[in-house]
Amino acid sequence: MSKRNSTRMSTMTRRFVAGAAGVAGIAFLAGCASNAPQDTWQPKGPNAQKIDDLQKPVFAIAGIVGIIVFAAIGYAVIKFKDRGQPIPEQTHGKPVLEIGMTILPALILAGIGVFTFQTIFDLAKTDDTEMVINVTGQQWWWEYDYPVQEQYGITDPIITSGQLVIPAGTKVLLRETSRDVIHSYWIPALNGKRDAVPGRVHTLRLEADEPGIYAGQCTEFCGLSHAVMRMEAVALDKPAFNAWVKGQLSLAASPAEGTLAKEGESVFLNQCVRCHQVNGLKKADGSPAIAAPEDNVWSGAAPNLTHLMSRNTFAGASWDLLTKECRKDVWEASSEEFGKKYLAGVSEECLNQTDLRRWLRNAPAMKPMYADPTKLAETGGKYRGMPNLGLSEDDIDKLVAYLATLK
Amino acid sequence: MFTNGSKYLIGVTGFSAVVLVLYIALVDGAVGGAVALASIMLAVGLLAGLALFNRDGDVQVGDVAAPANAAPVGSSLWPLVTTVGIVAMGVGLITHEIIFLLGLTALVAGFVEWVIQGWSESASSDRKYNASVRGRLIHPLEFPVLATVGAAVIVVPFSRIMLAISKTAGAIVFILVGCIVLAGGIVFALRPSLKKTVVIGLCAVGAVGIVAGGIAGASAGKRDQLVKAAEEDHFAHKECGEEKSKYFDFNAEAKVSMRSNPTATIEFIDGKLQARELGLNTPTTRITIQKSNNISVIFRNKTEGEHRLTLHYGEKEVQEGVVEELHTCTQMIEEGDEQILTFRIDKPSIASEKPYTFSVPGVEDQSIEVFVP
Repeated sequence: MSKRNSTRMSTMTRRFVAGAAGVAGIAFLAGCASNAPQDTWQPKGPNAQKIDDLQKPVFAIAGIVGIIVFAAIGYAVIKFKDRGQPIPEQTHGKPVLEIGMTILPALILAGIGVFTFQTIFDLAKTDDTEMVINVTGQQWWWEYDYPVQEQYGITDPIITSGQLVIPAGTKVLLRETSRDVIHSYWIPALNGKRDAVPGRVHTLRLEADEPGIYAGQCTEFCGLSHAVMRMEAVALDKPAFNAWVKGQLSLAASPAEGTLAKEGESVFLNQCVRCHQVNGLKKADGSPAIAAPEDNVWSGAAPNLTHLMSRNTFAGASWDLLTKECRKDVWEASSEEFGKKYLAGVSEECLNQTDLRRWLRNAPAMKPMYADPTKLAETGGKYRGMPNLGLSEDDIDKLVAYLATLK
Repeated sequence: MFTNGSKYLIGVTGFSAVVLVLYIALVDGAVGGAVALASIMLAVGLLAGLALFNRDGDVQVGDVAAPANAAPVGSSLWPLVTTVGIVAMGVGLITHEIIFLLGLTALVAGFVEWVIQGWSESASSDRKYNASVRGRLIHPLEFPVLATVGAAVIVVPFSRIMLAISKTAGAIVFILVGCIVLAGGIVFALRPSLKKTVVIGLCAVGAVGIVAGGIAGASAGKRDQLVKAAEEDHFAHKECGEEKSKYFDFNAEAKVSMRSNPTATIEFIDGKLQARELGLNTPTTRITIQKSNNISVIFRNKTEGEHRLTLHYGEKEVQEGVVEELHTCTQMIEEGDEQILTFRIDKPSIASEKPYTFSVPGVEDQSIEVFVP
């Protein structure tokens, strides 16, 4: 090899080592982040704890095996480096070593397999369910509906989106499906992932030890805005959950005559009700205003906005309805105070008007969606996501005033 | 450097490229035309490459060119196949499109094989070398096509047999054929020295048997139950009353994949209707389902006689002033039997004055309320 080639090689090696060290350093530092709500190493419920109890020993065993393998490779590389010595005697096979090195990993894997199967069966149990919630994925948000369960005061079904509200310390069973493509539901602090598949119903157990908010992320690539298809599970103590249920069962009240919100209600009836349902909203003739997302949206559904301001997020939990300070106040509340702060909802002072207005002004500009009205041939003229409604600033003022009343 | 043939094909490739660029620039949004032109360009480019590679198939420039007085290789089947293809296309034009397509397939296959064979036979004076050249070029095409045809020869006739015979006989035939294949496999494995002709003969007899059975099955047509079920077309008229449906193919409908995913199981037990929702162990008379989503429920009849489950889910204005009730139902189910009902409701319960319900026609005071939030 020429000297020039040798120099080039060593430069390349140095660059490679520096790059690898940089990546490893970044990965290491990322692991030290304190504000990591989707950290898989911090279980906050018994189901996630089961996974954690399995993954930690497995990682430890894998780590030890890895160190032994690397050490052996390193030893062989250094000890037997070509220094011009004669080639040692070549032998074929060493049965004892070969059998031993087959049996040992097999035994390790068998041991891990026993505990893995035990965990899988534990996580698949449905016979100890205390509460059931239907979870439906669609591009790019999650809908939650609560079947009638009178023991929790749910005398009529409840429907909401973005934030899944559950009672803490209760074994909740999610029944997942999808209206369009495959999605995957994952709240790392509460359990593993489960795919939501059109035409199928998959179950996922969730239980939170303490009240609080637990963040999650769709983990099956599902189109343009997969990366911002978020979800949050909100665990409330029992009294707070009962209060939340009571609030969700009420119908939306019409704003007082002559207010800006009342004008916003008219805008909503003209524009938004084509897709978004508000239970209790009436048309001018007094008949109930029924949304028709099945005629306008490919998935056939759009978020029910009856109690929008009882949630902390909007647009598939992608943006906060609360300002930064108010959000911090809720997220960092103690277990005892959390329920009270969450149930306060979004007050006028805490409303994140900036993002909400931006959304109303041009939703696809914030969240990439298939919402260009000139390119809907593939979906028979139906949108995937919210289109730009071309609202005037005046209409946006009115709509924000109306939406703020949907507590 | 360039041969005459390759010059011509390179010229056509370049011309296609220019036309493609002009087409994209001048014709807005016509993807199909652009794809067709690009395909032509690639195909002609490939031919140009081939012509360049084999020097236009000119044996005189090869290293081991065939002498002019070399003995002819022998007869070829491919001109005959090509002719049959042309005739079949003609016949197909006035009879049936399937015959036309078969003729077209024979024409293309025969033509390609003929050209490759003709070229390879004059590649050199060495027949073995010529055969290997042919193999290298045509085997990547031949083997997958032959494998597909071989699989189709088994699968299509076998499916005709299974559709013609009764369900019980079908199960027996399936088991018997499986046993014969297994036994054959064991014999071949235990007797690796078995004569090649014996193995080929046995396989040929089996294939001929299946094809003959398939022809017989196709001639006999589908079994009566399937024909009647198709004629009956229950789900088109959707009467959903107490009328009886005799021929519905229950086992074919109740697929395993559907059975594994019901939202609820609805049972009619001794004249009483109740539902069990997935994940909840206590029976209920109210279930909640998702809007705008395909939902499957299992209906299980545990009451004497035949009964069906009917879902009523509001009304729809089909014309101005004409309102039609929306409902769907299972077939009449015998006691001890069950059936899946799949449906989709697009409007929430609040859109209807009447509640959505499951009921059993002819049975009063028994219903399950369906909530659609």
